[in-house]
Amino acid sequence: MGQMGIVFFAASYGAALVLELTHLWFPSRLRGALVVLFVAVGLLAHTVFLGYRAVTITGSPLSSEMDWCLLAAWLLVALYLGLVFSYPRSPFGLVLLPLALGLIGAGAWWASRTPYPQPAASQVWGFVHAAAILLATVAILAAFTAGVLYLLQAYQLKQRRGPSGRFWLPSLEWLQRMNSRSLSLALGALALGLFSGIVLNGINFQQHVPALPWADPLVITTLAMFGWLLVALVLVIWYRPADEVRKVAWITIVSFVFLLTALAALLLMDTAHGRTRHAPTNQTGGFARPEAEPNPLAKPFLSDEFWAAQAGGPPDAGFLSETIQTV
Amino acid sequence: MNLLVVGCSHHRTPLALRERLAFDPGQIVSALSALRTRWPQTEAVLLSTCNRVELYLGGEEEQIPSAEQAAAFLAQFHALDSNLIQPYLYAYEDEDAVRHLFSVASSLDSMVLGEAQILGQVKQAYHLATQQGATGPILHAAFQTAVKVARRVANETALHQHRVSIPSVAVADFAQQVFDRFDDKQVLVIGAGEMAEETLKYLQQQGAQQIMVINRSLERAEQLAQCWHGRAVPWNQLVQAAAAADVIISTTGAQEPILTAETFRQVAALRRRWPLFILDLAVPRDVEPAVGEQSGVYLFSIDDLKATCEANRQQRDAELPAAMRIIEEETARFMANLHHKASTPLIVQLRQDWQRWKNHELQRLFNKLPHLDDHARGEIRQAFDRLVNKMLHLPLDTLRDQSRHGVPHNLLDALAKLFRLKD
Repeated sequence: MGQMGIVFFAASYGAALVLELTHLWFPSRLRGALVVLFVAVGLLAHTVFLGYRAVTITGSPLSSEMDWCLLAAWLLVALYLGLVFSYPRSPFGLVLLPLALGLIGAGAWWASRTPYPQPAASQVWGFVHAAAILLATVAILAAFTAGVLYLLQAYQLKQRRGPSGRFWLPSLEWLQRMNSRSLSLALGALALGLFSGIVLNGINFQQHVPALPWADPLVITTLAMFGWLLVALVLVIWYRPADEVRKVAWITIVSFVFLLTALAALLLMDTAHGRTRHAPTNQTGGFARPEAEPNPLAKPFLSDEFWAAQAGGPPDAGFLSETIQTV
Repeated sequence: MNLLVVGCSHHRTPLALRERLAFDPGQIVSALSALRTRWPQTEAVLLSTCNRVELYLGGEEEQIPSAEQAAAFLAQFHALDSNLIQPYLYAYEDEDAVRHLFSVASSLDSMVLGEAQILGQVKQAYHLATQQGATGPILHAAFQTAVKVARRVANETALHQHRVSIPSVAVADFAQQVFDRFDDKQVLVIGAGEMAEETLKYLQQQGAQQIMVINRSLERAEQLAQCWHGRAVPWNQLVQAAAAADVIISTTGAQEPILTAETFRQVAALRRRWPLFILDLAVPRDVEPAVGEQSGVYLFSIDDLKATCEANRQQRDAELPAAMRIIEEETARFMANLHHKASTPLIVQLRQDWQRWKNHELQRLFNKLPHLDDHARGEIRQAFDRLVNKMLHLPLDTLRDQSRHGVPHNLLDALAKLFRLKD
């Protein structure tokens, strides 16, 4: 179910993406149905995979970095499938599917797949935190998609090209609305994620578990992203320059770069977020890097049993959730 | 002959003659009534549009008028010399008539290939004839199938997806690429060209309500504004009006550009909302090309639109073979069904005879075996039913198969003789 499952649904999405790309060269009536078929089959396998992980892995369901990435990819693909039915001739897949595949790749290669148990006191807040950050990530990626298509549409119109028989792009007004609404949603979700992260830190403090430091790279990048989204939303709502294209381009690119930076901080940098932090039962405090934390870069696709063996068995209930606690 | 169509169309009949042959709805009612008085057993539908006048007739061979009689009827109704119109008329019978009707309904015979209005006009003509009691089984079947065929062509080909008139391209292929909705957009019409009126019609269909009309003559602007439920703006407020507009349609006859780059700088300084969609439908152009280079401005001249129209026309032409295949397939199916219907009376007789024999034999068997319970009787009855159906299946299938090539008279004769059926 592990490696093969990921390869299967990633391959399904990859096939759908290749089919979408062939739009650029030749028209075909069969392609739309095939794209839907590949994506639907992939999404089904993806759902089964996440469901299997949720019920079989010890600890909070879908709380590992890998699960988080795969869940974000699942949401993107579900969004794409919805858009395919609403706008069958629009090339949303050319942007959304690579983003989903990128998340799947990041989840499979770089992210830790070890889930962590969550103390009862912080379970709700842990869930809120994880869900809010997940929603913010997906919303930023949706805004990015709308932004890219906006730039493409604006370019086509400036070239005085009508909609081609192969691709049909939604109107500039629709794309801009999707862009700004996604950014608003991302901002709201990120605010909730930050707030729940602070609450989680408070709960940890009460339980004598060391809090996540403000100087943590992930905290810094996420706060910076929040600040940028705030500025972007102000720009979207109140600043209406004639050069709307440049504004959308800036907002789209910068938001995406902030998101990439935050993801890189989570997956690649030396962050204390999501690491196992031992409750100071018999020590003076502070948190240690999990000695058993494997280097996912070195050995991708190893089984959970492997990681459990490396960690000396599954973590006990006294540990805090690794992946999704604070920003 | 079951079906006949006599008529004229834009293909080879001049507009002047088409106008004289055209029928308004009241005239259609009178014509159908007159036709039914003269040929009471004939089914009839009269289709009259800007581009064609066609009389569809259906019925048994000896009951419907000939093509010459139908042409003379059309001429007489309009008090025209039938010799004058005869060279411009065409007549199609049976399979050709069905194929023609399907092509017309699917807009393959239209002046603008793939235009959508003709299907509505065909439906209207059919409904009007039905209301007058002028239709019967043949024309019901033909017109209802024609509507289905037209939908199939629309669904299975991209014939209707590519617009080919300048106003429709301007709105659907360009304005709708900029704006999602038009009910909250300000539309400014500069001048009063015919093309602007057509474009406004399309925009109003998309929900445009706020229309400003500006003209050098305020009186003329007020007249037009009244027509389009908009408001007139004095010419000296051009900059302010342009600054408030989301869509500008310009169609003046001016020899020099009206919206120069210099004027547009003043407009841009006053604008609060972007983007701006400008349709310059005037020749020579009303808007300097430099205006279109401004960010947030999407300027389209008539040449830009013509290029898209031509590209769309080529794309429609490319869909023609696929559409023709559908027409051929549906025509063959329709004719096979029509021919098969000729066999219906004999088939009904044959079935009734066999059912009678079956019931007779069953009754005899049950009398001889009185101890059979209901279950056993039911099983025996089912076995007899299956036997009759199986024995009928092959001959009926062969009849249906042969109907594809016309009414299978030889087979029907043989069947009638073999089983002593009444013709």
